Amino acid sequence: MEFLTQIIDTIYENFFDPKKRVFVGYLLSAILISFLWLFIVKKKTLIECFRKIFDKKIFLSKSAKADYMLFIINIIILMFLSPILITQLAIATFVFEYLHSQTFLMPIDVNLQYLWLIPYFFTISYFVLDDLTKFITHALMHKIPILWEIHKTHHSARTLTPITIFRTHPLEGVIFVIRSALTQGVVIALFFYVYGNNITFITILGANLLSFWFHLLGSNLRHSHIWINYWSWLEKIFISPAQHQIHHSIKKEHHNKNFGVTFAVWDCVFGTLCTSKDNEVSKFGLTKNENKYEHNVLYLYLSPFIGMYKIISKHTLSRFQNTNKQTFTIKN
Amino acid sequence: MYKSTNIGKSLTKVSFVSTIAFTFMFTSIGFVNADGHGVYGPFPITEKSYNGSKKNSVSYGGQIARQLQHNALKKLASKGNPNDPTNAAEKKMLSYLNTKDKSKTLAIMDPSPSSSKFPVKQKMIGDLSGGANLSGKADKRIQTSWPGNMSGVDVIKFMIKKAGKTSGGVDTRNGMNYPQLISKYTMGAVLYHQACDNYLDEKMTASSKPNNKPYKKGAYYTGKEHSWDEAFGYWGAAAHTMKLTAAQSYDIAKKKDLKSADYNNDGVVDLQTEMTYAHAYYASSYDKKGKTNYLKNVTKAFIDGRQLITSADGNKLSKAQLDKIQDYVQIICSNWEDVIAESVFKYAGSVYKDLGKIEKALESGSGMDGAMSKYLKHWGELKGFAMALQAGPDNKSDTFNRLNRMMGFGPLMPNLSQVVGIDSSGNYIKDQGSSIGYYKVHMLKIQKLMAEKYALKAKVNDATGGMAALLEKVGTKKSAEND
Repeated sequence: MEFLTQIIDTIYENFFDPKKRVFVGYLLSAILISFLWLFIVKKKTLIECFRKIFDKKIFLSKSAKADYMLFIINIIILMFLSPILITQLAIATFVFEYLHSQTFLMPIDVNLQYLWLIPYFFTISYFVLDDLTKFITHALMHKIPILWEIHKTHHSARTLTPITIFRTHPLEGVIFVIRSALTQGVVIALFFYVYGNNITFITILGANLLSFWFHLLGSNLRHSHIWINYWSWLEKIFISPAQHQIHHSIKKEHHNKNFGVTFAVWDCVFGTLCTSKDNEVSKFGLTKNENKYEHNVLYLYLSPFIGMYKIISKHTLSRFQNTNKQTFTIKN
Repeated sequence: MYKSTNIGKSLTKVSFVSTIAFTFMFTSIGFVNADGHGVYGPFPITEKSYNGSKKNSVSYGGQIARQLQHNALKKLASKGNPNDPTNAAEKKMLSYLNTKDKSKTLAIMDPSPSSSKFPVKQKMIGDLSGGANLSGKADKRIQTSWPGNMSGVDVIKFMIKKAGKTSGGVDTRNGMNYPQLISKYTMGAVLYHQACDNYLDEKMTASSKPNNKPYKKGAYYTGKEHSWDEAFGYWGAAAHTMKLTAAQSYDIAKKKDLKSADYNNDGVVDLQTEMTYAHAYYASSYDKKGKTNYLKNVTKAFIDGRQLITSADGNKLSKAQLDKIQDYVQIICSNWEDVIAESVFKYAGSVYKDLGKIEKALESGSGMDGAMSKYLKHWGELKGFAMALQAGPDNKSDTFNRLNRMMGFGPLMPNLSQVVGIDSSGNYIKDQGSSIGYYKVHMLKIQKLMAEKYALKAKVNDATGGMAALLEKVGTKKSAEND
């Protein structure tokens, strides 16, 4: 019973905690933005807008149904895994204690006149650094073959809905939890060491000020069928929903593009940016042709292991063959 | 019409009287159930062999005399003078440590008997007890928290000797603030040790000081009654603490609230029953912040326990009664221990802050006299309380060893020297210590150790509390989600 309550609580928290991406307030704002976009920019009628936004072919698709299943099952799996994962407090304490042994970075006394600035500086810095580590992690998930096998679960989605963010393999969930703990632990310990008790988060409804605005301004549209793009110059600063949809595109030229979450500058710097201009997306997913099992929950959980096994055995085999070849050469 | 009006009036009267009567009855029951007496004493005489005229069996004058001797020691420890060949300060301190003031020669020093703002009833230690001293009651075990393998009383004597020869009681070369060290350590080695490692320990067993016999021949109180009273006296709470807020108890200790102290409204503070001392004062200092309730938890357990002993009416306590007494002892001593651990936690945080200021002063080349003075005071409090914690009944040797190792025998000085021992002449031996940064980490680890090993809630001066709160605010990611 307690177990069930915990699951329900977690589901509830996802939709009613403003710190969460799929908080109902953000979902409603995404609907409103979509409506305004389609009605004003795309000149659609009210009925067309409604049909487009709430397209049952999207929300009741096999792909979307698999997303919903993974959302629930992952909650259960993470409930068991979370207690054994390293906590942000342990990392923060370690970093904070380490900082006492160096003299490069020292605590500073802030002029009282500028004291009010520190929470803003901290809140912005944290948001930017968090976004950077998300970019790096995401890029690694694509570039490292073993990690790509895990991340493929997310990219196997054929339709995108806000719930697609939960179409994530639990192993990837663990990686994200560790990334989040490391970022929080390190950044908070650094700032706390330098500024002491002067630091605090600027929040709205308990959520980081910038996260709140990022989500309110349509972060949920990144995983949706509504193609909303920005001006090209703005897409070099912020990732538009359309740019993330390009990231999910099956087209080869779209592969490994737009790893950023909020800021596009990281993609700009690392040469992975792809703006929406002349880059329409025809289909989401991994391949052109649909795999019969690609929305089967069991397949989604097991296929990364099979993929990883294949990579490891291939690697081991090639090493073995190389060793044999060398031995053979020496003997001759 | 006339008749019905009269009946109406009568009914109203009956209802009114009944309401008053029932209200009185129920509030009385409520009061008794809430905290019994609500005040520690008076309790009736139950000792069957006593034939005298006394009506109140409560007696803890000796313990309050020791509270006042402790207060005097703290005052005198700051009067040291290295140029005085007569060692007057040391002699005076030793008289408050050793003398049983039967002849009433030891004046009460704190609270001041001449104060008009906070007038007190007693003037001399002997007014409370002529048979009490501190040295006879100090922890006799070897103290590993202090160099030299000395017993508790020897440590106090050593500190007194040093304080007498140190200007103002603060040794700036070795970093010893003797008024703080002597005061806090004495609180542990005598007051806490006697209560929790003696009166509430051995003397609460069935065979020791039984309730069907007088405490000593001719006494008007039983063995258990007096043992319990003595422990209460060492706790240092005013008898009417349950009627006060924590802030009022705190202000009484600070001699700022005569009205709250003077429970019997005679215009003066009875130092036996109306004053807050030592451990009870520290408990009130944490409780008034609202997160803890140490003072009332302990005081209520003392009152409840005393009522239970009184209810035995001079008979031997049954197994069930002794078990219940052990429950009260558990409440008293665990809360008491937590109060001391809270103090270790608090002053480790203060030392951490002070070291930060010293680091900055060293870096900028500015003066650090103010910062040093605070640092040595806080370190003295930290060390004194850490030593006090080790005077209790539980030998948490692993915790204590770690605690002693991390803070050392002396504070780390700005030139990175630190006391590591004493030679055969009683001089400090110093060695090069770690860096200030490393010593600061030790303070963080002391706070962590205290929080892990004791049920701390107040956590004053939590050096990393702000960081933990921030992490709490940002929240933990519990779900697997892509961005």
